[in-house]
Amino acid sequence: MAVCIAVIAKENYPLYIRSVPTQNELKFHYTVHTSLDVVEEKISAVGKAMADQRELYLGLLYPTEDYKVYGYVTNSKVKFVIVVDSSNTSLRDNEIRSMFRKLHNSFTDVMCNPFYNPGDTIQSKAFDGMVSAMMVQAS
Amino acid sequence: MSVPDYMQCAEDHQTVLVVVQPVGIVPEDQFFRIYKRIASVAQVSIRDSQRNLYIRYRHHYLPENNDWGDFQTHRKVVGLICVTTCGSGKEWPQTSERFHGQKEVFGATLYDSRLLVFGLQGEIAEQQRTDVAFYPSYDDCPDVEKKVEDFVESIFIVLESKRLDRATDKSGDKIPLLCVPFEKKDFVGLDTDSRHYKKRCQGRMRKHVGDLCLQAGMLQDALVHYHMAVELLRSVNDFLWLGAALEGLCSASVIFHYPGGTAGKAAGRNPSAAQGQAADAGKRHRPGAQEVLIDPGALTTNGISADTSSEIGRAKNCLSPEDIIEKYKEAISYYGKYKNAGVIELEACVKAVRVLAIQKRAMEASEFLQNAVYINLGQLSEEEKIQRYSILSELYYLIGFHRKSAFFKRVAAMQCVAPTIPEPGWRACYKLLLETLPGYSLSLDPKDFSKGAHRGWAAVQMRLLHELVYASRRMGNPGLSVRHLSFLLQTMLDFLSDQEKKEVTQSLENYTSKCPGGMEVITLPDGLRLHPVPFTKLPIVRSVKLLDLPVSLRPHKQKGLMENSMSTKSPFIYSPIIMHNRGEERNKKIDFQWVQGDVCEVQLMVYNPMPFELRVENMGLLTSGVEFESLPAALSLPAESGLYPVTLVGVPRTAGNITVNGYHTSVFGVTSDCLLDSLTSVRTSGCLVEVIPSLPRLQLSTSLPRSAHPLQPSKEELSSSVSVQLFNGETQQLTITLENIGSEDLETLEITSKISNTKERLFGEFLIRLDFSGGENLLQDLMTVNGISVTGLPISSPLRQVLKPRAETRPPGSESSKTDYNHVKMLEAVMTFKYSGGAGKVEGYYRDLTLGLHVDVEPSVFFTRVSTLPATSTRQCHLLLDVFNSTEHELTVSAQNNQDLVLHASECQRMAIQVDKFDFDTLPQPDQETVRYTSLKLLEEERLHAQASMINSTLGITWDIISFAALINMQARLSSQTSLIMRG
Repeated sequence: MAVCIAVIAKENYPLYIRSVPTQNELKFHYTVHTSLDVVEEKISAVGKAMADQRELYLGLLYPTEDYKVYGYVTNSKVKFVIVVDSSNTSLRDNEIRSMFRKLHNSFTDVMCNPFYNPGDTIQSKAFDGMVSAMMVQAS
Repeated sequence: MSVPDYMQCAEDHQTVLVVVQPVGIVPEDQFFRIYKRIASVAQVSIRDSQRNLYIRYRHHYLPENNDWGDFQTHRKVVGLICVTTCGSGKEWPQTSERFHGQKEVFGATLYDSRLLVFGLQGEIAEQQRTDVAFYPSYDDCPDVEKKVEDFVESIFIVLESKRLDRATDKSGDKIPLLCVPFEKKDFVGLDTDSRHYKKRCQGRMRKHVGDLCLQAGMLQDALVHYHMAVELLRSVNDFLWLGAALEGLCSASVIFHYPGGTAGKAAGRNPSAAQGQAADAGKRHRPGAQEVLIDPGALTTNGISADTSSEIGRAKNCLSPEDIIEKYKEAISYYGKYKNAGVIELEACVKAVRVLAIQKRAMEASEFLQNAVYINLGQLSEEEKIQRYSILSELYYLIGFHRKSAFFKRVAAMQCVAPTIPEPGWRACYKLLLETLPGYSLSLDPKDFSKGAHRGWAAVQMRLLHELVYASRRMGNPGLSVRHLSFLLQTMLDFLSDQEKKEVTQSLENYTSKCPGGMEVITLPDGLRLHPVPFTKLPIVRSVKLLDLPVSLRPHKQKGLMENSMSTKSPFIYSPIIMHNRGEERNKKIDFQWVQGDVCEVQLMVYNPMPFELRVENMGLLTSGVEFESLPAALSLPAESGLYPVTLVGVPRTAGNITVNGYHTSVFGVTSDCLLDSLTSVRTSGCLVEVIPSLPRLQLSTSLPRSAHPLQPSKEELSSSVSVQLFNGETQQLTITLENIGSEDLETLEITSKISNTKERLFGEFLIRLDFSGGENLLQDLMTVNGISVTGLPISSPLRQVLKPRAETRPPGSESSKTDYNHVKMLEAVMTFKYSGGAGKVEGYYRDLTLGLHVDVEPSVFFTRVSTLPATSTRQCHLLLDVFNSTEHELTVSAQNNQDLVLHASECQRMAIQVDKFDFDTLPQPDQETVRYTSLKLLEEERLHAQASMINSTLGITWDIISFAALINMQARLSSQTSLIMRG
């Protein structure tokens, strides 16, 4: 399962970022931050082809020595990034996709909350709980 | 081959390598001046042919790398230019020796060499030598470029001959096996006669010829040779050389497709060369193709047209842009098979990335770079690591991955100060860190953060700022670290935990103890300007409100002059259209005035967002418009305080319009100027106020204690008020002292009084007008009785004035006392001192000083019945008065020529007084002047009053409270009511 899950706003600042193990959070901040380069590149590449009907799932953004970074962009340009451990080979593309779908649904719920201000950091407990369920249980 | 050249690009394959080196003692700056001039000759058109030769100059080249020259000929040092200083003929042999020694280093591969001698004159310099050029000095060498061009041409001749030589080496002769350094031992004892071996030799040679063709400017030939080499080498699985052949093919194709070059702006190490290339880019458009078109015979003469099918066409030999990348990928995968070819692989990656950057295929480029990151070159020195990370950063930047670029730049910066380095390069680290800022979308200008909430990667940005602070501190520039730390505190305040806030402020205080932070712009050597960071969040200011002066000091405009000063903005007296929009709110003029020389106040509502007590020192106002002396305040705000009012004061020194622009503070040793314009969250009701010229200032003190008790109908604010409690008919002297404590002379003083809450008419307006000159304290004694009415007389006299107006008292309670003896009556009056002077008077301003007077009148002596009895004489009569003592004290009543009557508390006695009869008609009539100005009713009142006074003086009834006798002397007087009865 994921080691880090991040939601990034249209303007490319984080709305939500959570990782296990928590002690090295900054590393994941860097990982997710740099992955945005690839996300932007992919969006612009796809954008040229067909702006309306594009696949939200961006696939593997880039692999590092220890992790694989996957991306997903909603139609409103909100980005989801999931970092998984490279050693976890059992994880299939389909599972990643379903994780993103779940994340998207949950994010939609957050946006539907009339008390949530779009652009603020996400503090929803329901969202947090759903993310926790997708994370690797810290041993 | 251990040191990769990260600056390489695909078109470098067509260059020949020339090393320029100093020999002996050459001043570094002089050498680089000459080096630059030499390097400017980067491209030479060869006479008699349409070809161009490109030269790559290096002032430093490892002989070890030279050993790979057979593998890729552009790595081979073919030319050597030595620069030397030679003072005299004696030194010449030694210099010459050194030059030869230098030649030895690259000996095997050199085509030609030159020595440039500076400073030598005389007979040695006279001799004509092709390989040596003599110049009198570094400044006097006009034909260096020409010499270099000649030199390049001679290199070309050798190159061309080699090319022809190798190209015509037909299979008849035994082709030598070219190999790279690490291969040499592998081929020992190999069967040299096998078909396989021969093919390998052929393939490698083809590739080599291809390289030479490319260098010699024959692009099409090169392509053909490369294609053949690829075929040959693929068949024998000679992967390393196959890779090289493929790369050659790519390079040639890149040169064909992108004549502008792929180096872009990244060619930092050899800027002049790069510029030269760029400038000539248009000229050298497809040199190879041109040549083939113009001189097709050239192909047949060099003997390879037989084996290559030149008819296939140029376009077919040349790879398409997509194929270039495919072939690069293939080549790199082949290189990857050899551990020792790491540098080649890395360089190929870099070249491919540059090509992809031009093709704008960032995703694929990033894959190449990702691969390059993993190429292991064995033990790298720290400097090489830094170089590697910086170049990665640069390449990522090139393909538009700014975040990734920043990441690697930061890694490079950290590498500069790695603990393993004996002398950490904090300066370099700092410089690199600064370059990462855009990548983390961080601007060091606090203005960019003032708009709304901070949006960014706070955790990452904070880390970077911390590193900047640390690096600048280690650089020995505490001013910088204070600036960065202030910035961190100001912009990241919302993201700092309580613990971090404490730490950051603590270290900030530490730094500022050595170097206080200020508001000046810090300019770094490389031109970056660090803007000052005002602490607008320490404390946070919520609202700014300019306060009016206290009531007694408020200036008023003379009525008559008011009309003139009315603003004539609009021709309409009233217009429903509001002239100001909201933006002007701040600049709106406030409708009160401040006075020059008087302390003015501005109230700020502040709060402290820190989890600890915040000490703000030297907090004052920033103003413009008039000269303003700000009186700074120091405050201490408790942790996480709520809104807290702070009053900042100052004194305007000149008159005019003053604008409060902001405030300045000093927190943690950092002084900041916070301008309201940049603070959008601050509420203000206007910051512009008029300062009028100075006015005198009167201070009022009374002999009676001041009372906090306000007058009942508080229609107007009073500067001070006094309250006394009196018995009906009691006289109390009140001394009012006025002191001019201002700096201006008091020129006019007008005193008026009015009774505020009694329905009874008051007699005679109280009016005193005094003219003073001289700045001495004004002391004025005024006596007022019961606060009823005082008739004043105008007195004009210099200096100290003692004024004792005649006082008249009228027991006011008499009417009501008939029904209720115990009624306590309350009287209130206001005395107004209107004064002016100095420059303010010229402008028509004056000030009001008001004194409220509150008197509680207690009933004392009442005449419950009045009757008369005829006396013995007809001119006299007996007046019988029933006197009632309503007080709780024993008192004595006495009348003129009568004995005292003792009255106990609440006792009623009759007293008889013998008086002369009189007629009211003898009273003086009011003069014409007064009649004209007063109404009939008033005249009647006046008359009654005069009659009462007359009765009073005739009877002269007084009373004393015995127990108070020592203290007060009271006078009882009859009312006019009584007197009327008496007359009747």
